[in-house]
Amino acid sequence: MNLDWSIVPASAGALARGALITIALTVLTMMIAVPCGIGVAMLRESRLRPVAFLATCFVELFRNLPIILVVYWAFYVMPVVFGIAFSPFLTGLVALSLNNTAYNSETFRSGIKSIRRGQTEAALALGMSEAQAFRKIVLPQAWRRVLPVLATTWVTLFKDTSLVSVIAVGDLAHTAMQIRSQSFRVIEMLTAMAAIYWLLGYPQAKIADWIHKKFGVTE
Amino acid sequence: MTAASVVLQYRNVRKLYGDFVALSGVSMEVRRGQVVCLIGPSGSGKSTLLRCTNALETLDGGELLFDGVPLPKEPAAIRKVRQRMGMVFQNFELFPHKTAIQNVMMGPSTVLGLSDAQSRDRAEALLAKVGLVEKAGNYPANLSGGQQQRVAIARALAMEPEVMLFDEPTSALDPETIGEVLNVMKTLADDGMTMVVVTHEMTFARRVADHVVVFDSGQIIEQGPPGQIFDAPHQARTRDFLGHLGWDA
Repeated sequence: MNLDWSIVPASAGALARGALITIALTVLTMMIAVPCGIGVAMLRESRLRPVAFLATCFVELFRNLPIILVVYWAFYVMPVVFGIAFSPFLTGLVALSLNNTAYNSETFRSGIKSIRRGQTEAALALGMSEAQAFRKIVLPQAWRRVLPVLATTWVTLFKDTSLVSVIAVGDLAHTAMQIRSQSFRVIEMLTAMAAIYWLLGYPQAKIADWIHKKFGVTE
Repeated sequence: MTAASVVLQYRNVRKLYGDFVALSGVSMEVRRGQVVCLIGPSGSGKSTLLRCTNALETLDGGELLFDGVPLPKEPAAIRKVRQRMGMVFQNFELFPHKTAIQNVMMGPSTVLGLSDAQSRDRAEALLAKVGLVEKAGNYPANLSGGQQQRVAIARALAMEPEVMLFDEPTSALDPETIGEVLNVMKTLADDGMTMVVVTHEMTFARRVADHVVVFDSGQIIEQGPPGQIFDAPHQARTRDFLGHLGWDA
C-alpha cells in the first residue's frame, strides 16, 4: 500500500477553513434553535388550539424526517416552491435549525412541565404576572434541568453538520471529500477527517459529561 | 373594644371541580387583626377556600369581598389584590434557584420595583425576624424544612401584606421543626397581623386563634371562639372530628 501523508499538511489551510465552517454551523444552529425551541414549546402549550396544533405539526414533521432529506429539501424545493434561494451555507443552517428547533422544543417542553405548578402559584401569590412567573421562576429552573439534554444535542449536532456537505457547504466533511476526490488520497484524507472530527468532538463530549454530572440530578 | 373592620367577607361561596362540590355555600368573615383557623378533615374544602381568597382558584358562585370590594376578574387588578395578601404553602415552594435572601427579595424587586439595596434591607430585616439571618446565602436545598418554611413566611411578609394566608404550613414538616414555624406565626399574630390559617395543629388553633371555623364536606359545620369549638362544641360532627384527632372535647 502506497500512502502519502504529505497531502494532509498540504491541505491544512483548507481543512482548517472547513473545520471553522463546521464549528460556525454548530454554534449558529444552536443560537437559532434554542430560542426558537423555547418559542415553539410555548406555542405548543398555547390555549389557542390552532396555534398549539400548528406547533405540534411543525415538531412532529421535522423531528421525524431524516436531516439529510431536510437538507436536500431546503436546497432543491425551497427555491422552486417559495422562490427563496440561499447560499449553500444558509441553506444548511436553515435545515439544521429546523431539525434542532423541533428537538429543542420537546426538550424545553418536558423541562417546563417538570417544574411543579406550585412554583408558578408561589410567584403569582407574590403578585407577579403569568409572564413574570414564567420568565423569572419557571424558565430558569427548566433551563438547568434541560442543560444536560441540550449538551447531548449539541454533540450530536456537531457531527450531524457533516450532512450538509451533500449541498457543497464547504464544511469540514465537504472539504475533506473534495480534496480526497481531487488527490485520490482516500485513506489519508478519511483518516485526517476522522482525526479532526474526533479531536474537536471529544472535548465537547467531555464538557457535556461534566454538565450531566453538575446539573443532572437535583432535588 | 369596638369590633375591628371586616377585611375578608365570604358570602355563600361555591366551588366545583367537575361534579365534585368542593365548597357548597360557605359564609364567614375575617376582621382586621384576627387570627382565624380553618380546621376539618382532609378534602373538606378549607384549603380551597384559602386558595379562592387570593384568586388562585376562581369562584363558581357567591361572593368574596376584600376590604369591602368584590375580588376582581381582570389579571392586573387580581395582581394588585395578591400584593396585599401573603401566602404560605404546605410545600414551602421556595424558588430553588435562588438563595434564601433572594427568595425574600423576589417580591419587592420584581413586583414592587424596589431597588436592589432597598429590597435587600427589607429582606435582611425579615430574615432576622424569622431568626435566619445567618442562612441568608443558603439555597433552599441546604435548609431544613422548618427553615425553608420560615424563609417562605419572610418572603410573603416582604410584600408588607395586610392579610397572611397559611395553607397547612406545618403539614410537610418533621415533628421537631414544627415548633419553630408555629412560634414565628405566633409572633406574627401577637404583632397584630390578620391571619387565615388552614391547620391540623389543634394546640396552635386553640392557643392562638381568635376564631375557629370547622369544615366538613365543603361546608362550615360550626364556627366560634376556640373555647367553644374545643371545649364545648355545639355540633356532634365537630366532636367526632376532634375525637379522631385524639382531642378530648
